[in-house]
Amino acid sequence: MKSSGGRRAALGLLSVAALVGGYGLAAQVYGQPEILPTLGALLGAFHGLLTGQAAVAGAGLHAHHGLDHLSGLIKEGVTLQGALLASTARVLVGMVVGGLLGILTGLWMGWNRAAAEYLHPVYVLFRSVPPLALIAYVMLWLGHAEAHLLVPIVYAVFTTAVIPTYHGARDVADIYVKAARALGARGRLLFWRVLVPAVAPSVLSGLRYALLIAWMTTVGVEMLMANNGLGHLIVGGGLWSSRLQVAVDPAVVMVGIVGLATAGAAMDAAARVLGDRLMGWRKAARRW
Amino acid sequence: MVTAAASAPVRRALVALVALALLYGVVSEIGSRVLPRRIWMATHYIEDVELTPRYASLAEEAVFLVRAGILQASVLVSSGRVLAGVLLGAAVGLPLGLAMGRAAGLESLLGPWVAFFRFTPAFALLPLYVLWFGFGEGPRVGLIATAVAIVTLHGAFEGARRIPRVYLDAAASLGAGRVLVLRRLVLPAALPSLVSSVRIATALAWVTIVVAELIKPAMPSLGYLLALAGAYPRVPTIVVAIATTGVLVLASDVAVLVAYRWATRWMRRRVG
Amino acid sequence: MGSGRARLQVADLAYTYEGRTPTRALDGVTVEVGDDEFLAIVGPVGCGKTTFVRIVAGFLPPTRGTALCDGRPVAGPSPERGYVFQEEAIFPWMTVRQNLEFGLLAKGVPAPAREPIVGELLGLIGLQGYERAYPAELSTGMSKMVEVARVLATDPTLLLLDEPFGPLDAQTRARMQEALHAVWAHRRRTVVLVTHDVEEALWLADRIVVFSPRPGRVRAEVRVDLPRPRTLETRLAPAFTALKRVVWRELGLGEGSRA
Repeated sequence: MKSSGGRRAALGLLSVAALVGGYGLAAQVYGQPEILPTLGALLGAFHGLLTGQAAVAGAGLHAHHGLDHLSGLIKEGVTLQGALLASTARVLVGMVVGGLLGILTGLWMGWNRAAAEYLHPVYVLFRSVPPLALIAYVMLWLGHAEAHLLVPIVYAVFTTAVIPTYHGARDVADIYVKAARALGARGRLLFWRVLVPAVAPSVLSGLRYALLIAWMTTVGVEMLMANNGLGHLIVGGGLWSSRLQVAVDPAVVMVGIVGLATAGAAMDAAARVLGDRLMGWRKAARRW
Repeated sequence: MVTAAASAPVRRALVALVALALLYGVVSEIGSRVLPRRIWMATHYIEDVELTPRYASLAEEAVFLVRAGILQASVLVSSGRVLAGVLLGAAVGLPLGLAMGRAAGLESLLGPWVAFFRFTPAFALLPLYVLWFGFGEGPRVGLIATAVAIVTLHGAFEGARRIPRVYLDAAASLGAGRVLVLRRLVLPAALPSLVSSVRIATALAWVTIVVAELIKPAMPSLGYLLALAGAYPRVPTIVVAIATTGVLVLASDVAVLVAYRWATRWMRRRVG
Repeated sequence: MGSGRARLQVADLAYTYEGRTPTRALDGVTVEVGDDEFLAIVGPVGCGKTTFVRIVAGFLPPTRGTALCDGRPVAGPSPERGYVFQEEAIFPWMTVRQNLEFGLLAKGVPAPAREPIVGELLGLIGLQGYERAYPAELSTGMSKMVEVARVLATDPTLLLLDEPFGPLDAQTRARMQEALHAVWAHRRRTVVLVTHDVEEALWLADRIVVFSPRPGRVRAEVRVDLPRPRTLETRLAPAFTALKRVVWRELGLGEGSRA
């Protein structure tokens, strides 16, 4: 057993090293950094985006048009950490506001059958609209500002969080609620001591999925319309206005993608740890 | 009495939907009279905006879009892209996920990549795809396929990995070889998980297309219709485009749901 | 044994579960099962009964000792030693018919040849008309009988039953025992039945081996010379009760009340 774990880690490392090395070699041989940036160019872009200073070495000598992307970002004062912060803030706002609304709606639907029967069809209609499709309409109401970027994110998290909560309350918690009622519990006691803990596991697994959706929507919104954040960094300006006519530097895009992956994985890990803390009574620790 | 109880959910659903429709009717009638028609948009004023288009405006717009053939063409093009992306992505993701779930070596090799990139929105690849595949259909379908492949890979992996040990032991004891185990055990047992991942992936594909269709857009497509209407802006067009997208999402979801019911038909107990 | 060569010969079998605290489950078990004999193994919880059948089924390599089936050492699972699991192992996504056919498919038996075998087994367990039903539509007891029939389809030389009716209620158990008895009467086979239910062992078996508590050893052998076919009367006969007393004593029960 121990050796198989070691083998797994070794194979994983090997695969990462092989792919990174293989890519580096391929990029070197291909010799067109504006299509396949070399590892050096990637490091250069990473360094430039981290420090806010244009790289001088390596690919920078060939002033191909893609480099405007990087220098443009640096001129705007965009840094990787700044972009990460802006995106994370949007994701968090979406999770808190949308999550809260979604959980409350889900609980209400799970708690009250009539409410569920009235609300569910309406919910299905709203869920069917892709959040990013709303952005053009929301802009008319809220103008070109932060609030208008947040609405699709909140909307996406909300529609994702409702169903797991509702199903948790309806299917999982129902038997405990009935048992507690039979023991004479009602009102606040029933809600906080029975319903909420019983629904918590479903809610948490729903929120983990909502986190993925929140990241996705955030990046989409930022690519389309924002002036900061990782999505903006990747396309170097609002896709909405430019329609991607501007040539991008693949090195910047790749650095941005790695930043996104790190942030997403870190937030998911944090959510998992938090979930395990909150639900210590649940022995079965699921590994993903 | 029994039929009345059984139809209560249906009746309530109808009541809710009719109420919603009426509510919008009233709000839009009031809104189109009360709300300002001239709005400030960061740098300039936009004239004659109907923020809450009345049913009459919507109908007029829908009729225009259909008469001009724009709506049908957009629906066909966008649905075609989604379908192609879903099929392509699932064709890559599902077999790879199943293989990962059944072969520990492959899982060790691919595991780190899947774990790391699982939370990376496929959107982010759009600029790269445009760079690599040009401005044609390639990046659009490729982007959807990527999003779909990530989700279905995960679903297939989980499905294949969660097969209870006892079924595999039983098959071994009955003398089953690798191929039979894969075809008769792994595949059907993982099928519900596969199909539900396709369901999630289809929803994501519709989200992705809105962005994917903004690159060098050529009419017609739903994403471009939305962008164009947003740029003018023509609110009735926006609303019609959003509603059409919603209907398509709903329809594709129902289609996958039917497939899911079929894939899980063995789970249902006979009533009584 | 007398009746010629033994189907299953187990000699000095021992098994230790590795781990932080190694557990000796079996220690020096020697058992022979004759051709067409119905052997039952009873013993307290955790006495290594299941470990014993899992070794014979080929899922566990013994720590010490040998298990020979038809003179050949057991090496891995094989359809020759049909094994009915303690857990529910019927494939829930397959219909009754597909479950019954599975071993034949594994063997590569063509469809026309599968048909009569499946038909006969369906009749034997009384599930004609249910061949297109999914296991979820059957009772637990009936789906267990499908598992028994599924194993019989490939015509094993040895049938291993590990607590097949463990989770059933008493009445259903009795009904399933009757079904199993009928199947066995129709298709004589060497059977090893592991059970914690003394009455079940007595009513079904020719011979009972009683295991001691962990580590499992053969504590006693009890020959069950009750006439066949066995009926409700068998369960109520004085001879049955007398044998029951013997087995319970061997299990070490009833001594506490005397003290």
